Amino acid sequence: MIAVSGLALSGLIVWGVNAAARTAHAPSAPPFAVATTLPGLAAPTGEPQLASIARMHPTTGAVVPAAGPFDDRFVLQDLRFDGARVTGVVDVTSDVSEVLELQVLAGFYDADGALLGTDRFVHHLTDDGGTDPTTGTPQEHTAFSIAVPAEFAGRALSVSLGVPVLVNE
Amino acid sequence: MVAGTAGAASARDDARDNRNRAANVIYLLGDGMGRTHVTAARERYYGTDGKLSMETLPSQGFISTYAVKKLSGQPGSKTFQPNAVTASAATARSSGVKTYNAALGVNATGTVKPTIMELAKKSGLRTGNVSTAEITDATPAGQLSHALARGCQGPVYSSAACQDLAITGTALPTTDIRVTPIADQIARNGTADVILGGGLGRFDAVDEEALTDQGYSVLGSPTTQTVATKTDLASASGAKVFGLFNTGNLTIEKTKQEKPTSAEAQEPTLSEMTSKAIALLTQKASKGESKTKKGFYLQIEGALIDKRSHANDAAQTLGEMKAFDDAVKIAKDFAAKDGNTLVIVTADHECAGFNIIEKGTFTNAEASAPPANVDSGNPANNSTPIRPRNSKDATRSAGIINGAGSTDPKNFGPATFRVPTDAAHVVDGSPEAGLWLSYLSGNHTGADVPVYAYGPGSDQLNGTIDNIALFGIVGHALQLVS
Repeated sequence: MIAVSGLALSGLIVWGVNAAARTAHAPSAPPFAVATTLPGLAAPTGEPQLASIARMHPTTGAVVPAAGPFDDRFVLQDLRFDGARVTGVVDVTSDVSEVLELQVLAGFYDADGALLGTDRFVHHLTDDGGTDPTTGTPQEHTAFSIAVPAEFAGRALSVSLGVPVLVNE
Repeated sequence: MVAGTAGAASARDDARDNRNRAANVIYLLGDGMGRTHVTAARERYYGTDGKLSMETLPSQGFISTYAVKKLSGQPGSKTFQPNAVTASAATARSSGVKTYNAALGVNATGTVKPTIMELAKKSGLRTGNVSTAEITDATPAGQLSHALARGCQGPVYSSAACQDLAITGTALPTTDIRVTPIADQIARNGTADVILGGGLGRFDAVDEEALTDQGYSVLGSPTTQTVATKTDLASASGAKVFGLFNTGNLTIEKTKQEKPTSAEAQEPTLSEMTSKAIALLTQKASKGESKTKKGFYLQIEGALIDKRSHANDAAQTLGEMKAFDDAVKIAKDFAAKDGNTLVIVTADHECAGFNIIEKGTFTNAEASAPPANVDSGNPANNSTPIRPRNSKDATRSAGIINGAGSTDPKNFGPATFRVPTDAAHVVDGSPEAGLWLSYLSGNHTGADVPVYAYGPGSDQLNGTIDNIALFGIVGHALQLVS
């Protein structure tokens, strides 16, 4: 069982509802009903990975897709790899009003097709009333660019790409 | 006598309280459903003199849906900061607090707030949550989880999706419920006995094990990503059932009807899920099951009204409205027979500024200029703008969007639909069709939304209320708050 730490819970208990129920000040309820521990759930320790990337051995020059949980919701297009960075576009094909969250994970491989390491593109839509005019527009078309990490410079000869995080509505 | 007066008042309060109690509450949410969505669906399917099922419910009113800014206090406090943009309504309804747009089950300062469904479960009621969206989407998740950010849906954690440093200052430990992926919460907290909808892709093998360990009958399989079917649903039984029928959102009804042999057509309708959820929640306890059933709390969401409104697809929007209203009828019929069930039908916010325009007219979006205002010389009409007669701009108005103008991606023309009183030869997408529809935008609006109610305490829904008041009305009906 994993204890929840640093959790703020409202202790306010306000009784007396009926007349107040129609007002803007709705009654509160005791917090005891909230399950703040989730038995058996291992706490995540880092950013998401894709097991498929570790299993792949792409040939030199290849840019290939890596399997992930949302492969039926997008297509990768305009993929290019020049040895220094991989670029492309994620076109979401399921319902879209906003792409709230998107991560594109790139695996970089050496001449033997052995995985050197990964890096990622992260899109996060700030959703607080559309105060950022650049994030208030529906997006189905998200361009990404992921540079080869410096420690693999010159050795990364192929790439796999997958999407471990996608939330759109 | 003061004492006698107080006693009489107390007795009246008690009597009123008892009148507002219900054994069951069925809460139906048409996501994005504004007043015009209701009117358009009525005219489309039942004619101008007909009624949707929701419109036959005796108590009717409107609900305001505004959100607040991050770190805002609640209404009435000195730090209250309203935000006209509408979302976060799920938390307002389920937890009775205003919050910021991305928040679920927490207030605007990030404090966890119990939900009605959690309180119902804790008090021994049976609980159900049904949606045509992913079950981790905001409306169902607003009853089942606590998250700083609605994008923290799973199946995996990411800091960008789950943390919100504007609220917490520093990143929370990943053990904190507020940054735990919503799918992980739903699979483990046991808040809903019956979970039906979409979003199988958010759940994995570990989640399936957690569900099975709690006694859920899991339809399909998160482990193999095998979606459940309506056949699975029909044969489902037990006190706890978890069935997700698509890896993402469920398929719109119009597509299923047009492709009846497709895999997607094996998804149940919202009506079928509603009927089954009620049946599961009202079944008598079998041997070995707890006999704590005092009633139930069931939330039903028609989610795709919103999603197809975002897309400005009026045909699909209307189809989803019909599917939602068919589910309302299921709930209404149950409540009429049961006699002790409160049914509330409402929306979280309006989506896309859906409008019915007069047949043969055009909108500002199609026009070369705003409407004429040339009579400023008239002292009664002497406001500032002076504009000549407007006209349609051919580059913005290329014909009826579900007819002659359907191939122009820049066309702002209306969608038209036949209504029951149209002549037999009149078809959708023609200028002769009686119902002309347009959209203001592709996003949510701040308009109040309609509410319809039936059953004990439903008269509290007459008039206009704020969405956080729904928490008190439902909580009081089920004796979760007093």
